[in-house]
Amino acid sequence: MQDIILESLSRAIKDYDKAAAVRWVTAAADNQIDPLRVMESLTAAIREVGDAFGAGECFLPELVSAADAMQAALPIVEEQLRSIGAKRESIGKVVAGTVAGDIHNIGKSMLCTLLVADGFEVVDLGTDVPVERFVEAVRDHEPDILAMSALLTITASEQKLVIEALQAAGLRQIVKVIVGGGAISEEFANKIGADGYSPTAPGGVRLCRKLAG
Amino acid sequence: MIKGFTRKYKPLDILSEEEEEAIHRGALYVLEKTGMRVEHERALKLFADNDCLVDFDERRVRIPPGLVEECLRKCPSSFVLKARNPDQDLMVGGNTVYFMQGMGMRYVDLDTWETRPATAAEHREAMIVADALENVHLADGIFFYMERQGVPPVMVMLENLASGLRYSTKAEQFGYQKDCEIFAIQMAEALGINLNPELDTASPLTIYGGAAEAAFRYVEAGIPIQPCSSMTMGAEGPVTLAGAMTLGVSMVMAWAVLTQLIKPGAPMSIQHGLKPMDMQRGSPRFGAAEYALTGAMMNQMLRRYQIPSCPGSGFTSTSKKIDYQTGYEKSMGALLSALSGGNLLIFQGGSCAELLYHPVLSILDDDVAGWIGRYLEGVTITDETLAIDLINEVGPIPGHYLNTEHTRNWWRKELFQPKVADLEAYPVWIRSGKQDALALAKQRMEKILTSHKPQSLTPSQEQAIEDILKDARVYYRSKGLISEEDWTTYMKTLDNSA
Repeated sequence: MQDIILESLSRAIKDYDKAAAVRWVTAAADNQIDPLRVMESLTAAIREVGDAFGAGECFLPELVSAADAMQAALPIVEEQLRSIGAKRESIGKVVAGTVAGDIHNIGKSMLCTLLVADGFEVVDLGTDVPVERFVEAVRDHEPDILAMSALLTITASEQKLVIEALQAAGLRQIVKVIVGGGAISEEFANKIGADGYSPTAPGGVRLCRKLAG
Repeated sequence: MIKGFTRKYKPLDILSEEEEEAIHRGALYVLEKTGMRVEHERALKLFADNDCLVDFDERRVRIPPGLVEECLRKCPSSFVLKARNPDQDLMVGGNTVYFMQGMGMRYVDLDTWETRPATAAEHREAMIVADALENVHLADGIFFYMERQGVPPVMVMLENLASGLRYSTKAEQFGYQKDCEIFAIQMAEALGINLNPELDTASPLTIYGGAAEAAFRYVEAGIPIQPCSSMTMGAEGPVTLAGAMTLGVSMVMAWAVLTQLIKPGAPMSIQHGLKPMDMQRGSPRFGAAEYALTGAMMNQMLRRYQIPSCPGSGFTSTSKKIDYQTGYEKSMGALLSALSGGNLLIFQGGSCAELLYHPVLSILDDDVAGWIGRYLEGVTITDETLAIDLINEVGPIPGHYLNTEHTRNWWRKELFQPKVADLEAYPVWIRSGKQDALALAKQRMEKILTSHKPQSLTPSQEQAIEDILKDARVYYRSKGLISEEDWTTYMKTLDNSA
């Protein structure tokens, strides 16, 4: 029974089927399957999809849909983990958002999806995020990494303001800050005192692995 | 007034009447049922005061179809963009096609193909070239070189506008961001021009506060606006062309309502860019065939509403060089935009997605614009052009037409002459150093820079622009948007370029 449920859960992720993912993760809880094993199944399934994406065998719509199915199942298994006093093993926690004045969502959302698929815990703050919300999120979630995106030159400077505000709030030392987006260059990232920069979402994942490791 | 090009035949329609109607009704339904998220209190109140259903907590406005159709009817079918030189005013709309200077954030080195922020001198030179090019009808000093050496990002749009106004007498495009529209309106008023500011819509179905606030400021100042209906299909909109179009049209309708509620009869054009996403890389495919298709569909819908259209298809390529891919992606996109009824085509100078701009590319693109313009102007059929008497007179070989008055009178009018295409015979080409169009365009740039002198601002106009820039610098510095370090660099940059 246990193997059938875990296999079905894995299949649901790989079939991008949110409803089935929730159904099978609930069945796992009902059948008292060890939540750590459930989490392993989920992670293995999403990693398989991520590897297929990396190999050019599947594309963003499939990857994002698989990550969505996984995120639909996650709260249930996380609740189970809490009930036995365990925690989800994640590579690290990332808070991500597009800075104030900038409405571009897709690049940041891609990064979030790829991070989830890679085993990171992700808090997505959305777009047009003011400086104070970034600071609050770092205070509240205590992430390993803060990732900020800006597509426009004129909004890129917001990233600098966030870094300064983190310093003023005494939070800069507890978090690595990475930046990306169309308007960002490595030179700019260095100038504003960021810890890393990536021009692409997959590169952003590699950067997060390096910084969280 | 600049005449531009006249499309002298029916536009390319790719939707049947029934298909057009299905998209129209679908978009009306989306606005009534799902509505727009509008992050602007004053705009929400205005919608609520005009029979829209507004949820102030969710910032959501649902618009009744009757109001949408009434507001679409109120949008003027054409309007004037006023240039510094009134002979260069543009009458936007109808079957007139104008080309607009393109965009790209950075300067590109033509040897290494690497990009970097531009200097003030490079911006000035690119503007002088744009001023000289006969097929750049609308200048856009703003959206190329958005990265400037030594200029704080928050001041780039205004510094670029000032440079545009100084080195070109043509009408100017603009935008909005962080209140810079306040100063741009002052500059426009000081020179007696209007601008053509583009305002973003975030797809799906969202107008953020900055764009809405800028709309109020511009419309109330009597300046025509150009809202954008853009998305990457499959990510920010449906992947099907019909679905993307329905969503795109609903955003056009929302802007028509907002604009006409702010001021009935206020002029508006629509900039549109519904392009597919690269499903592996997540980036927009600017040179895709589907972009040209959605461009043609939106041109058709905007003709139905009699709203002037500014299609993005053809404005850039994803190629990193000035090469074959840049040439075909831009040319085909622009040609199809023009044939299907676009009025303002964003074109000369940009490539590499939206990353690079170079005046040499603007010179090459200007030949493409001339080629397209010639095609649009079509054929003149009169007794004289039919030349039946002449054909009879010349007769069979050894008769020919080179020595006739008819050829002398007509060839310049009938035949488009590109400025920098390689037209040489092969032996001449070998002897003259095997020069291609790129090499010829570089030479034309040098020639323009030594010979073309744009009409300067008058001393009082120059003073007005400089005073407004000074106010803007103080404003942004006081708001903490220019750091002390950036300020010091900025002041040095200004001193060096003075």
